[in-house]
Amino acid sequence: MIELLASLIILTVGAALSYKDIRISLVASIVAVLAMMAGGNAYSALILSVALLNIFSLYAMRQNQIAGVDYALVAIMAVATLYVFMVDDLAMMLVLFMVVSAPTYLLVMVSDEKLNVDVGIKYVTFMVIATVLFIIGAVLLYSATDPLVYSLAFLMLIVGLSMEVGIAPVHEWVPDVFASADPIPVSIIASLAKFVPFIIAYKIIIATATPSLWPLLIVLGLIAAVSMFAGNIGALTTNEPSRILAYSTIANMGYILATFVAVTAGKEYVYFAIAGGLLQLFVNSFGKVGYFASIKNGGTSLIPAYILAFSFIGLPPLMGFWSKLFIIYSLVYSQFIWLAVILVLNSAISVPYYIRLARLLGTGWKFNLMSAIVLFASIAMLITLIPPMWFVDLVSLMKGV
Amino acid sequence: MSEVVELPMMTEMLALLFLTPVIASIPIAVAWGMHPRPDWARKLPVLSVAGLFVSLCVALYILFNIGELSPEAEPVKHTIYWLPEFNINFVFIFDYLSKLMGALTALIAFLIGVYGLEYMRDDYRLGWYWFFFNLFTASMLLVVYSDNLLMLLIGWEGLGIASWGLIGHWFRDDDELTYVGILKRKVAGLDMFWSPSTGGWRAISTIRIGDMPMFFAIGALYFLTGNINISEIPWAGLEEKIGVAGVVILLVAFLMGPFTKSAQLPFSEWLMTAMTGPTTVSALLHSATMVAAGTYIFMRLSWYIEPWEHHLLSYEYVYILVLFLGLVSSLYAALVATSSLERKVLLAASTMSSLGLMFASAAASYWVGKFAVLVAFWYLITHAFAKATLFLVAGHLIHETHDRFLCGDTEVAKKLKWAFVATVIATIFLSGIPPFTAYWVKSGMDGVMHHLEHDFGLLPLALLVVISAIYSGFLGKFLSMNFFKGKKVHLHLHGGGIMSTAYLVMVSMLIVILAVILTSHEEPFKEFVKEGLLTSSFAVGVIVLLAYSFGFFKPQIKSPIGQFLSDRMYVMFLNDYIVPKIGWAIAKVVDYGNRLIDFTCHQAIPGMFEVYSHGVRFIQNGKLERYLQIVVGFVLLIFVVAVAAGWMT
Repeated sequence: MIELLASLIILTVGAALSYKDIRISLVASIVAVLAMMAGGNAYSALILSVALLNIFSLYAMRQNQIAGVDYALVAIMAVATLYVFMVDDLAMMLVLFMVVSAPTYLLVMVSDEKLNVDVGIKYVTFMVIATVLFIIGAVLLYSATDPLVYSLAFLMLIVGLSMEVGIAPVHEWVPDVFASADPIPVSIIASLAKFVPFIIAYKIIIATATPSLWPLLIVLGLIAAVSMFAGNIGALTTNEPSRILAYSTIANMGYILATFVAVTAGKEYVYFAIAGGLLQLFVNSFGKVGYFASIKNGGTSLIPAYILAFSFIGLPPLMGFWSKLFIIYSLVYSQFIWLAVILVLNSAISVPYYIRLARLLGTGWKFNLMSAIVLFASIAMLITLIPPMWFVDLVSLMKGV
Repeated sequence: MSEVVELPMMTEMLALLFLTPVIASIPIAVAWGMHPRPDWARKLPVLSVAGLFVSLCVALYILFNIGELSPEAEPVKHTIYWLPEFNINFVFIFDYLSKLMGALTALIAFLIGVYGLEYMRDDYRLGWYWFFFNLFTASMLLVVYSDNLLMLLIGWEGLGIASWGLIGHWFRDDDELTYVGILKRKVAGLDMFWSPSTGGWRAISTIRIGDMPMFFAIGALYFLTGNINISEIPWAGLEEKIGVAGVVILLVAFLMGPFTKSAQLPFSEWLMTAMTGPTTVSALLHSATMVAAGTYIFMRLSWYIEPWEHHLLSYEYVYILVLFLGLVSSLYAALVATSSLERKVLLAASTMSSLGLMFASAAASYWVGKFAVLVAFWYLITHAFAKATLFLVAGHLIHETHDRFLCGDTEVAKKLKWAFVATVIATIFLSGIPPFTAYWVKSGMDGVMHHLEHDFGLLPLALLVVISAIYSGFLGKFLSMNFFKGKKVHLHLHGGGIMSTAYLVMVSMLIVILAVILTSHEEPFKEFVKEGLLTSSFAVGVIVLLAYSFGFFKPQIKSPIGQFLSDRMYVMFLNDYIVPKIGWAIAKVVDYGNRLIDFTCHQAIPGMFEVYSHGVRFIQNGKLERYLQIVVGFVLLIFVVAVAAGWMT
């Protein structure tokens, strides 16, 4: 708790002092996130990496409208993401949900040139509905006694979650926002902002699970399947990199949603499911940061481009392989084999457009900050050269699981 | 069932037996391929023949020193262990059949090898020839001495590939002398002449058709009995396991290998066009050994199945099939031989006829007993020496007259004395004229067929007598049209010493066998003599003598029937027209399948994905109204689903 307070103070002071020199805010934000990492496990280290990549990519567009404050916004999102690992009471979780969601409303409109208000309106509309559904659903789940109310609450939570992160069939904001907004804020939305909704949803569902869950799990599985197909098939004929990435996000969110069906399985499979989901979130984060950075940069070297592509496709020994492996493992042992098959099929369908993406963006190396970010993002994909069973053990440390 | 006998050095001897021929032919094979070809390469065939001689020595050693040489003796086995847990080992068997057959093969191979030194002296492809010639010998010996069916298959396949390589030896197809048939002649649009490369193809493709069912049968035998050693398989118990129909199918599938290899109907065409190969090849493969492998296997099977003991219905059906297939094929071939115009095709058809008789006689063992197998076996041996001699003579004649068609008058008989003598001896000793070698064996065969009177009446015996008569007739014709009444030819005399020696030694073996038959007190020779001294046998002998004389004095009768028989009753339409058409039909069907797969993978599926992709992206028209409509609609739908789900549980 004390670390939380300290971090918040540091980043606020830094944001305030940023009128003098934005680099004060830069440093203060980084310090704030580091301060929050008191516990220090692999999860925090990875979140720190994502946050750092996001902060530094903001430095590359330091002429934006809210220069200085933007670092603090990212820092507070990172702090919240780190803190959510350790909480399990509903009130705090919902607060953290808002803390992560709200900064993105502002960030999405920010750019080097003029403010993107249209995009902001579309985005905020969706987010507000999402938030409302999510919160009502969460609260009702905790107090539901009647199976009918429980079902309603459960599905409201899921639909809220879907709209928040961009799962079909309520994904319509994703392609438009990803294509029109500035790549760097988009990379923040596409990476850091996705963790908290999923983690909170995991905790809530596990805490409130009842035996009457099974038809709802099938509906959930269907939604996940629809999202996977819509994302992957939609990306096949797209030629614009940011749109391809939008559909890729939709598909990846589908993969992660699929892990929810394992919550009623045995303890071991739940760990694999959540580990798979989290690892997939990391894959998604690093990958999107890397690719959006290269879009902003006008291209990058072939090797990082292909490493990111192969990780998304799921080639061993990159991170993307392990995340999908854990997900499939948990699905198969929860008797949702059809969903596992669909996931594998979708991985296969996704190959052409990732390769196309790598080819479109792998044009040439430039020595600047953006390229460094891409490089680090692709290196992050390689950490699973050490098989990540340590990640599964990590999940068991998560409070409320 | 077999004694465990100490056989010192047997593995080493067997290695010598099988590997020496192949290794000895490697020098010439390698030297022939060198660029530029060294002058000493043409001297290397002697090495190959030396290798054959080594095999001959080992085979003779086995004949005279391993176990007793009697039909009732226990077989001696030598096992080299390979997969003992699966009961699959290299098992070599030395019984009456294999010892004699092995010695026969090695001796004939050696003699023809010597003949080949002179016959093939100026050939353009010696490396290929000698390699396959020796590979063939090694494979045949493997087939002869194998008890294990898997090992036998290895040898069997070796026979096939060697046969293809040797028949198609003159692959350039540029020499009219190497063809079969009259060039440019067509009947009903089909070419009635075949080149060496075509001959090689026809041989291997026909044999393959027989090999496939044989493989499956061997697999089935292993699956059913856990054993693939011929002498150990519980043949009698098969009928209980898979029923009468099962055993019939199994055995017929197995016998498809021997049927195709021994050129029985309807698989006979390849043997006729195999005459495109060098005459040495025809002598070794297509008269004495390879084609006899099929009949030999059948005899060996019968030896161990002992159908005369068990009297099972399934074996009865199979043996009836083999009996009549053999007789009918024999009759067909005898008629074709009678009207052949080419030296080697006449001999090839006559070989097919003899093979049919071997099958028939061995099949009669079901009703007669082991003696029928012995009759078939000694007929095989007699036929081997006689036919090999005739082929070698034919080769000599082709060499000297530069003509593959029957031609030659008394001048040839005078100039090529030894060829004439060898032909006279071979034809008379083979035809069954008393009191020469084949007479006694054929009398045994008459006795066997007569014994079948209870089951089939006089039909088998009648067929045998007719066939014998026709056979004898064309042997006389062969002698006549080459040395007496054939048209005048110009002779290009050169050398021939080694060749004559080879076939004179070969033909003298017939005299040796005659001596053995007449002087031995062992079975089956005692029984042969007994049969030969019967009046009925003598009557058949007289018919045969008359037929021979008729063939000698009136060798050619031109008639439409004759033309029909000369064209082999148009059986080649099966090989050259019907089967290819079936093949093309299958290829067409497969092509449709291929195109369907092609369409699905390269057009249907990508097109489908494209349509769906455009559909998904079509939703994004940029307008928030539409998006919200979708969202609200979905949320309402979810409410309905939630209520339904809540209601269900």
